[in-house]
Amino acid sequence: MTAASRQNRQQDELAFILHSHPFRETSLLLDVFSRHHGRLAIVARGARRPRSALRGVLMGFQPVTLSWFGKGEVRTLHSAEWQGGQPYLQGTALMCGFYLNELLVNLLGRDDAHEQLFDYYRATLQRLAHEADHAATLRCFEKHLLQELGYALELEREAGSRQPVLAEARYRYVIEHGVVADDGRMDGFPISGKTLLAMTADDYSDPQVAQQSKQLMRVLINHHLGGRVLHTRELVKDLQKL
Amino acid sequence: MTVSYLDNLMAALRCLPGVGPKSAQRMAYHLLQRDRVGALQLASALQKAASNVQHCSKCNNFSELEVCELCASTRRDEGQLCVVEMPADLLMIEQAQCYRGMYYVLMGRLSPLDGIGAKQLHLERLVKRVQQHPCEVILATNFTVEGDATAHYLATLLQSLGVRVSRIARGLPVGGELEQVDSGTLAQAVLERRELTV
Repeated sequence: MTAASRQNRQQDELAFILHSHPFRETSLLLDVFSRHHGRLAIVARGARRPRSALRGVLMGFQPVTLSWFGKGEVRTLHSAEWQGGQPYLQGTALMCGFYLNELLVNLLGRDDAHEQLFDYYRATLQRLAHEADHAATLRCFEKHLLQELGYALELEREAGSRQPVLAEARYRYVIEHGVVADDGRMDGFPISGKTLLAMTADDYSDPQVAQQSKQLMRVLINHHLGGRVLHTRELVKDLQKL
Repeated sequence: MTVSYLDNLMAALRCLPGVGPKSAQRMAYHLLQRDRVGALQLASALQKAASNVQHCSKCNNFSELEVCELCASTRRDEGQLCVVEMPADLLMIEQAQCYRGMYYVLMGRLSPLDGIGAKQLHLERLVKRVQQHPCEVILATNFTVEGDATAHYLATLLQSLGVRVSRIARGLPVGGELEQVDSGTLAQAVLERRELTV
C-alpha cells in the first residue's frame, strides 16, 4: 500500500445509510452520513449480488461501521459491519425516519462533518423506535438541525431590542431576522410567547404549542429548502387521510 | 444540419438505464457493423413489445392480453392476493411453488427520497380489485426500508377498507446456520421469534 492510498483510506467509521440507489449491474450507490466525515457518496461494489453479505448490513436507520477508500467525489466501500442496538423502525416511526433522512439529504452539504448532529440523529432514531408520540421528537430534531447548519433560532428574546419574550404576549417570527412584537404588521409568522418559550425548553406537550411550532418549523424549513419539496410530508399527509 | 440516423440511434440507446454516450456509441457501432440481422430483430421486437404489451387489468403485471394467463386460470385460489413490487418477484414466488392464489404487481415501491409517493404507484387498481373480490391480502414487498414503508402504507390503506392483511415473514434462510448469517437478519429473527406449539 502506498502512502497516498493509506491517506485516502478510512477505517471503521461509524455511519448511517441515508439513501441508496442501484448502480451499474450489481452495485449500490450509498448516501452516507458518517460521524467524522459528514455526508458522503460511497459505491458498494457487488452489494446487489444475490448472496452479497452486505445486503443485511447496508440498511437505513441502522448504525454501521464502514471502511472506504478513494479521494474523489464518490468513494469505494471496502467493508461494512453491523453495529446493532437500534430496533428497526416500523409504521409511523419509519415514515418519520424517512423525513429525517430527506431533511439531511436536502440540507447537509457533502464532506462537512457534523458530529453533534450525528449523535443527535442517532438519539432521535432511538426515540422514534421507543416513543409513541413522534411530533415532539421531530420538532427537537428540526431545531437542532437548523442550529447545526448555522441558522440557530433565538426564540426567547426579541430581535434588535433583546427584550425577553413574555408568555402572555403575541409575536411574529420574521425569517432571517427573528422574533418581533406583534404590532399589527403583516410580515412574518404569528406566534404566541407561550409557544416561543416552550420551544426554547423543548416542551411540546401543550396542543397549541405543538400546532404552532409545527407550522413555524415548516415555514423555516421550506425557506432553507429553497423551493425543493419534501416528499415524505406528502406521503404522511396521504396516510393521515386514510 | 439535420441529425444523422447514426446520431439518432445513439441518442435513442441512451434511454436505457446505465447507458451513457460512450456505451451508446459502442452499441450503435456494433449493431451496424457486426450484427445487422440482430439490429433488425431488435427493432422489430421492440416495436411489437412496445405496441402490444400492456398491464393486465387484474394483476397489473405485463401482459399482451387484457387479462393475463395467470389471472385467467381457473386453478388459482381467488381468496388470496399476494402483493409484490416487481414482475421478477412474482416469478420467484411462482418458482417456489408455495402459493396458489392471485397476484398484484405494484411495478415499484414507495420511496419518498426518490419522489415516489402513493400517487406515482397508481393504487386505484388494487383498491378496485379488493373491493370487487374480497380476499386476504399478503404483502410480499421487499425487506428494505422502502419495502417496509410500502407495506405499512398498503396495510393502512387496505385495513381502512376492512381487508384482512398479512405480511410475509423474515428470518434465517432455510438450511441457514447461525454462524454464517448476518447480524441484522439474526437480530430480527430473535426479535420476531414465535412460540412453538407441540
